[in-house]
Amino acid sequence: MKILSFIVFIVLGSTATAQSLTVYSANPNDLIQTLASKFEKKSGTKVQVFQGTTGQIMARLEAERSNPVADVVISASWDSATALKKAGDLLAYSPAGAEHVPDFLKDSHYIAQGVTALALVWNNKSKTPKPADWGDLTHADYRRQVLMPDPAQSGAAFEWLGGMLTAQGETATWNFLSQLRSNGMLVSGPNARALNPVLQGAKAAAIGAVDYIAYNQQASGEAIDIIFPASGTVIAPRPIMILNYSKQPEQAKAFVDYLLSDAGQTAVANAFLIPAREDIPARRPGLADIALIKIDSHALEARRGEILNQFRKVTR
Amino acid sequence: MRALTFISARMPMLVATASLLLLVGLPLLFVLLQVIFPELTRGSLAQAFSPLWKNLADPELIELTGNSIKLGVSVVVVSALIAVPLGVVRALTKLPGAALWDVLLLVPFMIPPYIAALAWVMTLQTNGFNEQLLGFSGDDLVFSFSGIVLVMAFNIFPVIYFAVSRTLGAVGGRFAAVAQVCGANPWTAFWKITLPLSLPGLAAGLLLAFALSIEEFGTPATLGAAIGFEVLVTGIHRRFSDWPLDMPGAAVLSLILVLLALLAFWLQHWLINRRSYVSLTGKPTPFEKVELGVWRWPVLAFFTLVCFLAVGVPLLAVLATATTDTLSGGLQWNNFSTRHFAALFANQDGALAALITSISLATVTALVTGILGALVAYLVVRSNFKGKSWLDFLSLLPNTLPAIVVAVGLILAWNQTFWPVNVYNTSLMLLLAYSCLLLPYPVRYTSASLRQLGENLEAAARVSGAGFTRSFIHILLPLLAPSLLVAMLMVFAIASRELVASLMVTPAGMQTVSTFVFGQFEQGSPGVGMAMSLVAILTTTLLLTGLTVFSRKKLPDA
Repeated sequence: MKILSFIVFIVLGSTATAQSLTVYSANPNDLIQTLASKFEKKSGTKVQVFQGTTGQIMARLEAERSNPVADVVISASWDSATALKKAGDLLAYSPAGAEHVPDFLKDSHYIAQGVTALALVWNNKSKTPKPADWGDLTHADYRRQVLMPDPAQSGAAFEWLGGMLTAQGETATWNFLSQLRSNGMLVSGPNARALNPVLQGAKAAAIGAVDYIAYNQQASGEAIDIIFPASGTVIAPRPIMILNYSKQPEQAKAFVDYLLSDAGQTAVANAFLIPAREDIPARRPGLADIALIKIDSHALEARRGEILNQFRKVTR
Repeated sequence: MRALTFISARMPMLVATASLLLLVGLPLLFVLLQVIFPELTRGSLAQAFSPLWKNLADPELIELTGNSIKLGVSVVVVSALIAVPLGVVRALTKLPGAALWDVLLLVPFMIPPYIAALAWVMTLQTNGFNEQLLGFSGDDLVFSFSGIVLVMAFNIFPVIYFAVSRTLGAVGGRFAAVAQVCGANPWTAFWKITLPLSLPGLAAGLLLAFALSIEEFGTPATLGAAIGFEVLVTGIHRRFSDWPLDMPGAAVLSLILVLLALLAFWLQHWLINRRSYVSLTGKPTPFEKVELGVWRWPVLAFFTLVCFLAVGVPLLAVLATATTDTLSGGLQWNNFSTRHFAALFANQDGALAALITSISLATVTALVTGILGALVAYLVVRSNFKGKSWLDFLSLLPNTLPAIVVAVGLILAWNQTFWPVNVYNTSLMLLLAYSCLLLPYPVRYTSASLRQLGENLEAAARVSGAGFTRSFIHILLPLLAPSLLVAMLMVFAIASRELVASLMVTPAGMQTVSTFVFGQFEQGSPGVGMAMSLVAILTTTLLLTGLTVFSRKKLPDA
């Protein structure tokens, strides 16, 4: 009997979701945990979080299409929001606080919560000169010292590649990559653990690293510099959206309002993202301090296979 | 009287069969259905069979299958090179500290494979712990196919070690002693008698190691990703958890993986049952073990080296990462810090909840599989029901089921609208997955000890009027308890660190130890991830040791 009640306890613990909100989040984990618990205290609505990459979240949404679970999605890629809106899965909503968000970071159905940029991360204890631009990494000083995530596995790396293709053109980009490759650049897996070798000093620099992770690590004492080259880089606005099949749209709206509130945006800033609201200061270089490359992600996505093939050919 | 027993035993039979069908049959059935009906997840049976042909013609499928086989075979060969000499020495010689080595070689089971893989990366990569301490790196080794094979072999070889040392211990001495009496020298006796007679046991160990290595996820996901080496398991994981989804593709790959594992187990079964010419039915008679003499030092050095590589290096690297303030600060005294542990105990990112979830789930899994396993074993060994061999088959089938396939099957099965209860996206999914995967342990252990128990006690109980349930609970369970407990401890240890099924079926709002650790690495906090691993490894080890000591006092000896 004890066993039975134990099982019942465990099962009920997670099925009691009737009044709770389910959020699928690609946010930094400590950020979403902070936001969820603060919102719970404020509103009394329980928040269940599934934490994953954008790819995992989109996969889960698709797998659950016949039996949906999620109410709110926080993604790390603007494209995913566009795709979900096109599929008719989103609820139109403009939260309080949206008036402080610049136009290019909002839509009728989704709005950015924060913005990250893809950086050049450099270990300042490595015995290499401090790089100023992507092109520096082709120098002999960085022989076998550079690492980049595989764009086939990392959405961020693909966007970075798209940025290079947009800003520098096809020929220059592929030449640049083949130079990096002949200089011994390692193309390594998804973005996630890419910084680890740079921290330990196995590599001196990483290309296209997600900046907030690096800022966090720098803040906790790691010997790294985060560099945004003057020749430009790509930003990734991180949209939040409400699914139109949500069974508690009112609580979902309240949650999105909270994310765009002073408290929510301050939490975003504390996690080293650039807050979407212009009136909330960032704890790191903001949009005005970074040279931005605007990419046409739709056009790039349409050419995805071709671009990845060419990348593989050049970096093999 | 007989009729009464019959009726009261019918119920447990039904319960056992229904549970097995639910736990093992259902997920497999849905994988098969998905292979046939690509639109199943949308509630449609349209376009039957079309993805099967499309996926079977996919060149990637051949590459992934080839990679899995290549990896499995290589891991088996390397594991055998490490384990066979150790096992032979352990079984046939007077090895100093024999029991201690056995205990040490159990530890690799407790270290999650992906933790071991990351530990090796941080040890061997340029400027890693090894270079910081000894001045050279193994960067090219750890990021290579050989690196993957070595890391996996150091995790898996104990399976072969225990198979070899036990088989040889049982077969070895007696027949060799006879041969020696008849004039053969020890070497001839070993090569001509002992070794051939132990081949089936050895082969069984090798095939088990093969099955384990083709279904392993953590190491290929950690090391393979860095060099673009993908196997079936990582291929299934990608198809199933990355956008755009490819469920039919994932199901087809799952089926191939199951078939590969089934083939290995069929070979193993065939080899074991071929061994009719060996009499192993009695208890092994004690035999005179060989003195090691001057060989004791090289032998001990080899044992020490292997234990250092399989247990020492991973644990030291975990400890080093968990206790250094910053990775870039390296192994310096002024870089020592307890901040990663402080973050854990401050419940950063829900660390404590993850630990509690894993321990409770592992406990419930151990109880569920323990009870069900004992029941199934009893019915298979003692009852006369028709179809009990099916029960036996179903209960041991999960041995051939890769965790990722069980997870895929469970998602497909429960993520449907027609069920009256909602199981999908609850912790019950994890319980179902763990129970399915780990059920064979209690079944194996219990049926082995049941075969040693006389039937008189049960008969006496029945004569005195006790029904099935009463005599099962009051007579058999206490007698089976010691071996059942060992099996349940094993279940607990594995369930508390299971990764791949956890990654796929953990519901929103919940984390297990393994998903927490994986998440920390993904989010760029290796220190916290390693601190959690250390806490989890220590907690489970302490719980297991505590429980064993406690139960020794309370339970009768087997």
